[in-house]
Amino acid sequence: MKMTRYDLIVIGAGPAGLSAAIVAAKAGIKPVVYDENARPGGQLFKQIHKFFGSKEHMAKVRGFRIGEQLLAEAEAAGVKVVLNATVIGLFPEKEVLVRIGDEVSHVKGDAILIATGASENMVSFRGWTLPGVMGAGAAQTLMNLHHVKPGENVLMLGTGNVGLVVSYQLLQAGCQVKAVVDAAPRIGGYGVHASKLARTGVPFYLSHTIKEAEGTDHVTGVTIAEVDEHFQFIKGTEKHIEVDTICVAVGLSPMTQLLKMSGCEMKDTRGGYLPVCDAYGQTSIPGIFAAGDVSGIEEASSAMIEGRMAGYAIAEYLGFISSRERASEEEVQKASLDALRQGMFAPENRGKKIETTEEGIRISENLLTHGFVADDEISRFPGVTRKTGIHPVMECTQNIPCNPCQDACSKGCIAIGENITALPSVISGKECIGCGMCVASCSGQAIFLEEEDVADGMGEVTIPYEFLPLPAEGDTGYGLGRDGRIVCSASVSRVRTLKAYDHTALVTLRVPMEHLHETRFYRAQ
Amino acid sequence: MGRIQNHPILGETPEGKTVHFTFDGKDMTGVEDEPIAAALHAAGVMVHRYTSGRHEPRGIFCAIGRCTDCVMIVNGIPNVRTCITPLEDGMKIQTQYGVSAREDFS
Repeated sequence: MKMTRYDLIVIGAGPAGLSAAIVAAKAGIKPVVYDENARPGGQLFKQIHKFFGSKEHMAKVRGFRIGEQLLAEAEAAGVKVVLNATVIGLFPEKEVLVRIGDEVSHVKGDAILIATGASENMVSFRGWTLPGVMGAGAAQTLMNLHHVKPGENVLMLGTGNVGLVVSYQLLQAGCQVKAVVDAAPRIGGYGVHASKLARTGVPFYLSHTIKEAEGTDHVTGVTIAEVDEHFQFIKGTEKHIEVDTICVAVGLSPMTQLLKMSGCEMKDTRGGYLPVCDAYGQTSIPGIFAAGDVSGIEEASSAMIEGRMAGYAIAEYLGFISSRERASEEEVQKASLDALRQGMFAPENRGKKIETTEEGIRISENLLTHGFVADDEISRFPGVTRKTGIHPVMECTQNIPCNPCQDACSKGCIAIGENITALPSVISGKECIGCGMCVASCSGQAIFLEEEDVADGMGEVTIPYEFLPLPAEGDTGYGLGRDGRIVCSASVSRVRTLKAYDHTALVTLRVPMEHLHETRFYRAQ
Repeated sequence: MGRIQNHPILGETPEGKTVHFTFDGKDMTGVEDEPIAAALHAAGVMVHRYTSGRHEPRGIFCAIGRCTDCVMIVNGIPNVRTCITPLEDGMKIQTQYGVSAREDFS
């Protein structure tokens, strides 16, 4: 039997697989990329938020734009992507069984890269199979790819970054998020993601989980209840919430089936059942590599770097580049990956309670349990300064690898420094001109501009705003606090929608001076 | 449930070609090439099938073709994953009971 042979077979056309294929193709390899989906790009095209990291990680660029760039690069490099192609077998001899349409064929690769990503975890509760209960990823697919609202009134289970980000996207799609619930006692994802929700009035229920999804043919409501430290329901704490949709975001599991099948060495870790790999994705079987979420759950940004690293390792393995060339390329990639793996949410800190920032500042307890920094906690962070004249107020209170605000300010007002997880601070003596680039560049939407005493007893605060309808200049409504409660009446004095802001509108609110430092969101009357 | 007309980040929803299909005999419209499940969801259809043993309803769950909860009878063929099957003009879509359409459900 004649068998097709490729230099490199990549399984999965997501961020890791495509990045690896691009590097390999540029080195002269002719890779084929199989993906079971009808469209390449993995989950990137569902990611409509601005990414974290620094410039080299494409920080402040929205995920779907990164996806478009990656596809263009792959095309330019001559990467062959075969869609609707499900790989159903992988053998240690580097033979792949792929199903395309109704046909199954055997193909052989000199090297194989598994970049199959991850799948969503589920939890079961009474009624969990009812229509209306869906993965957070399903909601994201419906609204961001197909422009269909997942539901009208939604409950989100899970406060990791997926739960928080998808909840915000639900609001952007015009849905109501009635509650964000987690059995854990603390919010798992970035505080800034939680704060974006809290300031719109979304309530958080920590140490709570779902008792029952109600309805006969589809979800008509949900009962949640508090749990004790052993995750057992506490009697009498039940709360009923009217929802038509329940989204579940309780973590991801690497899709390692093919790796297991190939017979490569696997290990049980906190992050799942993973292939044993070196730093460049080489598994225990020479020539079989793994990159991206399948080798350990992280972000799309890290998956792209892991993909590139595997790409160089494969190029050397197949003899297309020298070990010296590989070493110098890998060094750059490794440094970039290490930068992303720093801070409070670094892989080694998973599950740990961090009490203080790298700067020695106490973490906001309120942020971890209610999703917002309390008014009496906020002033202890270095980005929060009070002064006359317009200036940024950066409510960035956790060490996460992210620094676009520093680059955004052409006047040099904002300092993070070499260590990209450091909290930003305002440099005194530098003059803020109120351009708003820092506000729009902050992927966490944690930067505001404040100006005191612009008129008698009034001040102005500029907030990032990513919802429709956009307020208009002259509108009057309410200023909402970090907790989403009405703190004062507010009038809209300016609305800016520059192209450079990339769909983050800047809304300037005029509010009474005594509420200037509390006002963080706007609601129309 | 309902379509998003205008989105703060994605902008106006591109206008696709409207196609006609039937769901359990009822005339419906959707957008050509969108997943069948998206068209049904936009029209408010939640139940795609009932399980064979306990006759429990199932609908969209993963929306990426993995879980098979959303399978239906499409043009007479059962077990079609509606979340990844593109909608075509004139499609006949039926709720699936076990692995059959209602008339031969026992």
